Amino acid sequence: MNILHFAWLLGRPAKTRLAPQVLTVSAYALVSAVMLIVLGGAYSFTRFEAEAQGTYLPLAGFAVVLLIVPLMVLGSAAARLSARANDRALSSLRLLGATGSQIRSVAIIQASVTALVGALAGVVLYLACAPLASLISFQGSPIGTAIYLPAWVLAAAVFAVVALSAISAAVGLRKLMITPLAVATRRSVPVPSWIRAAITVGSILVLSLLFTNLSQVAQSIAMVLIVILGGFGLGMLILNLVGPYLVSKVAQSKLKKAQTPQQLLAARMILENPAESWRQVSGVAMASFVAVIGGSGAAMMNATSAQEATNTWYDYLPADILTGVLLTLAITFICVAASSAITQSASTLDSAELYSGLHRLGMDWGTMNAARVKSLMVPALAASIAFAIASTLLVLPLAGMAIIFSPLTVLTVIAAVVLGLVLVRISITVAEPARLLASRE
Amino acid sequence: MLENSFGHPPVLHAQNLYRSFGATTALNGVSLEISLGESLAIMGPSGSGKSTLLHALAGIELPDAGSLALNLPGQPPVNVQELSDKARTKLRRGSFGFVFQSGLLIPELTAEENVAMALMINGVPRAAAIAQADQALIALGLAGMEQRRMGQLSGGQMQRVAIARAQVTGAMVVFADEPTGALDSATGAEVLDTLLDCTVGQGKSLVMVTHDPSVAAQCDRVVKLHDGQLISDSRRGTSVSGGDVR
Repeated sequence: MNILHFAWLLGRPAKTRLAPQVLTVSAYALVSAVMLIVLGGAYSFTRFEAEAQGTYLPLAGFAVVLLIVPLMVLGSAAARLSARANDRALSSLRLLGATGSQIRSVAIIQASVTALVGALAGVVLYLACAPLASLISFQGSPIGTAIYLPAWVLAAAVFAVVALSAISAAVGLRKLMITPLAVATRRSVPVPSWIRAAITVGSILVLSLLFTNLSQVAQSIAMVLIVILGGFGLGMLILNLVGPYLVSKVAQSKLKKAQTPQQLLAARMILENPAESWRQVSGVAMASFVAVIGGSGAAMMNATSAQEATNTWYDYLPADILTGVLLTLAITFICVAASSAITQSASTLDSAELYSGLHRLGMDWGTMNAARVKSLMVPALAASIAFAIASTLLVLPLAGMAIIFSPLTVLTVIAAVVLGLVLVRISITVAEPARLLASRE
Repeated sequence: MLENSFGHPPVLHAQNLYRSFGATTALNGVSLEISLGESLAIMGPSGSGKSTLLHALAGIELPDAGSLALNLPGQPPVNVQELSDKARTKLRRGSFGFVFQSGLLIPELTAEENVAMALMINGVPRAAAIAQADQALIALGLAGMEQRRMGQLSGGQMQRVAIARAQVTGAMVVFADEPTGALDSATGAEVLDTLLDCTVGQGKSLVMVTHDPSVAAQCDRVVKLHDGQLISDSRRGTSVSGGDVR
């Protein structure tokens, strides 16, 4: 029996695997459709005059690059969910003598096929949503039919989604141990706190220097963009270094105050692996980071352009940047919601036996679900607020008080944080233990 | 309710329990009474319906037909099969204790928190629950291990934590499914002694599924199942066989 046959036997649609399979395919479809719409939007910029293209295309490229990270996270989560859904079968195969690399191949093939089905569904979804997306206006007129990408781009995008999912599946599977007896998550050794502290302090110093001397550092729009992109990258690095520490501190405080079973359980679930908790909510923190930078950028453009109309493409730039920021935020949220749904489902399946057992012992599903929801929403809320404040402080020397606290920036940030949290909360209902485990039994 | 030969009124009275899964009949007209302070072992080959009977007696699963009456001291009688899923969940956490082979302890929690959780879901404040949990753990020889996580305890210690959790709520009936099945014989014997001390030793009932005749031999009574039917019911020194025993 070859690997493809194994993959088919374990991956073919079955009632017991239906919930995770539908979830994974839907997540890929959603992300593929969103990516195609963004590419369509970016592609439409090629009809602008050359000077405008010089500004619009790098910004669109930035938005596309932003999408790759959530897509990788999603691919990795999908591979782990797929392995979890088949954990007993994969373990049995190991017991029968299949090697670790054979099992990994089976899991990667399954993830790739799931991604392919999802990406193809995503193309259909993109074509269905394109008429709506074509109404979005840039340079004063709707995108129109320019949203429709050539067939070769669609094919390339499908290939890219499948390739990325296969790569991230391989990476994600390195964190799973598939033994003849069980599938378990491998713990990674945390980076020592002094290294985190050194990198964080260093990054903040570099960023402050960069932003306070921006006019000397960057003479052209392209240079400003490069500096801001670099700053954004460093900001992301700081987020990921400080995030787990912040999450564990919040959870420790919650643990001390916990009075109900769900509060106690939620705090302990976060403390069990703060890095994993952080990873699950880092998208929400990233969204508030993007909201502050993007919102203040848009407000800044708005303020400068209000004074001088040039009757050129430049007049549309502030409004278009705001549209771009809002679209980037919306896309980030969709990816975060899909990732949350999928990682929470994997986590519920991970603890399937424990949840079922605790229910037998008399713990109701509601208590278990409340603990699970709290274990995600507490860090999500903390991350959103903390990083909205942190990025405000970071952007302050760059944008100034008036811009940072302008209604446009403040509204963008508040809307981003609230919407992000609501979306995450809604998305994780798919992973309710009672619902997800019922389909498994 | 009439007192049975054990000298106590039955706390559980199952009559004509039937349960099937597709074409397989797991319980086929099982009737059984369990008395207060009695230890009962359920034995039988794999697939004979032992765990299904335990789940039915504990209100985890409802039988397709038959009735189950619960008659706890100082509480009004309850017909378990008439309760909703939510009410049965509440009944299990308030009136029953459980010790399963896998322990079903929450890995994220410490030993004391695992035990305290049973009290907290019954509404006991955290500080009081932790204090009671610590007492229960100390009584079972786990002093100094209250703050340990499950990965830091041996199999026998984990089962003691599970026993502490089963008894800390004051449950009058404890259900155990192969509680020593994953332990070596010496540790298994110690855990069984602890379990008996904490249940029948304190006037509570113990209903235990086991494959092990030496474990069953320590119980007051042993019932045997075959193909979903109760084929024998013996007490220490006596034996009754037949379909509808009792």
